Amino acid sequence: MLLPKRVKYRRVHRGKMRGQAKGGTEIAFGEYGLQAVEASWITNRQIESARVAMTRYMKRGGKVWIKIFPHKPYTKKPLEVRMGSGKGAPEGWVAVVKPGKIMFEIAGVPEDVAREALRLAAHKLPIKCKIVKREEIGGESNES
Amino acid sequence: MSKLQAKKREGFTRAALTEIRTAGLFPAVIYGKGVESEPVSVEESEFIKVIREVGRNGLISLDVDGSKHDVILQEYQKDPIKGFIVHADFLAVDRSSEITSQVRVDIEGEAVGSKEGGVIQQPLFELNVTAKVSDFPEHVSVDVSELAIGDSISVGDIRDKYDFTIENEDEDTIVSVLPPQKLEETEEGTEEASETEAEASAEGEKKED
Repeated sequence: MLLPKRVKYRRVHRGKMRGQAKGGTEIAFGEYGLQAVEASWITNRQIESARVAMTRYMKRGGKVWIKIFPHKPYTKKPLEVRMGSGKGAPEGWVAVVKPGKIMFEIAGVPEDVAREALRLAAHKLPIKCKIVKREEIGGESNES
Repeated sequence: MSKLQAKKREGFTRAALTEIRTAGLFPAVIYGKGVESEPVSVEESEFIKVIREVGRNGLISLDVDGSKHDVILQEYQKDPIKGFIVHADFLAVDRSSEITSQVRVDIEGEAVGSKEGGVIQQPLFELNVTAKVSDFPEHVSVDVSELAIGDSISVGDIRDKYDFTIENEDEDTIVSVLPPQKLEETEEGTEEASETEAEASAEGEKKED
């Protein structure tokens, strides 16, 4: 699973997820991509689960790029503990994803296989996603 | 050459731009050698029609309230979710002058290697091409039908086939056929190990503080 090798601070603030993705909104490496339509935290388990779903469906063909990384630690207090007494223990790692971000890219497989693989991957994520295709301006509609 | 109508743009506030976009137009700017930079607005549906007709690097005759300019689409910004055009830059050009722009690479044929189970990988989707405005290519076709597993085509291999200049380095790989990938299965053990390692390093940092 993806996680940082070392971090400067073990616990960080939760932060806000306002606005749209600032970068990574275009397909850079592959031919097809999975784009986030909502903002959410994506855990490293979800990323791994989506990756496995895609690579299993594509069998041995194609190549997958993961364009998000879970840099952010999240914490949780133990069960049945009263509020206070400091912040909870680190529980896992998440990537902050905002609308427009291309999270995964695929290349080297036919369109129907790529779309099905990305659909399966989208079911592993907690947000609404859109499958997008690399295209130039004036191309056919990208919606799916 | 296709014609496109544009109107001079006067309001520069965000509200004015929003008004332009809700009316089905988008803000744009024209600039170029010997042309004063001028903000304009263009109708999106007409613009898309023209671009489909002439291509991404095609020459457009832009009519700004009566004054005509020969322009090419230099750059454009799109809304990442809704897909509408947020802004565009038009470069005013002289037909006989040379320009450098990005041209799409189209792969033709089915590689021998991909029939044997190899995976075609294309690291370069666009090439920087310098050519005369009047004969600027719409796309660069690369024939991959003779590529076996492990073979690749780089910019140096195709440079002499065309009468325009390709600005990329000779070593830049355009397309290659990779051997088939093995199904990656995660091993629980290694994951656990790496997780504890990260935890340990984080703790180490804390102690140093």
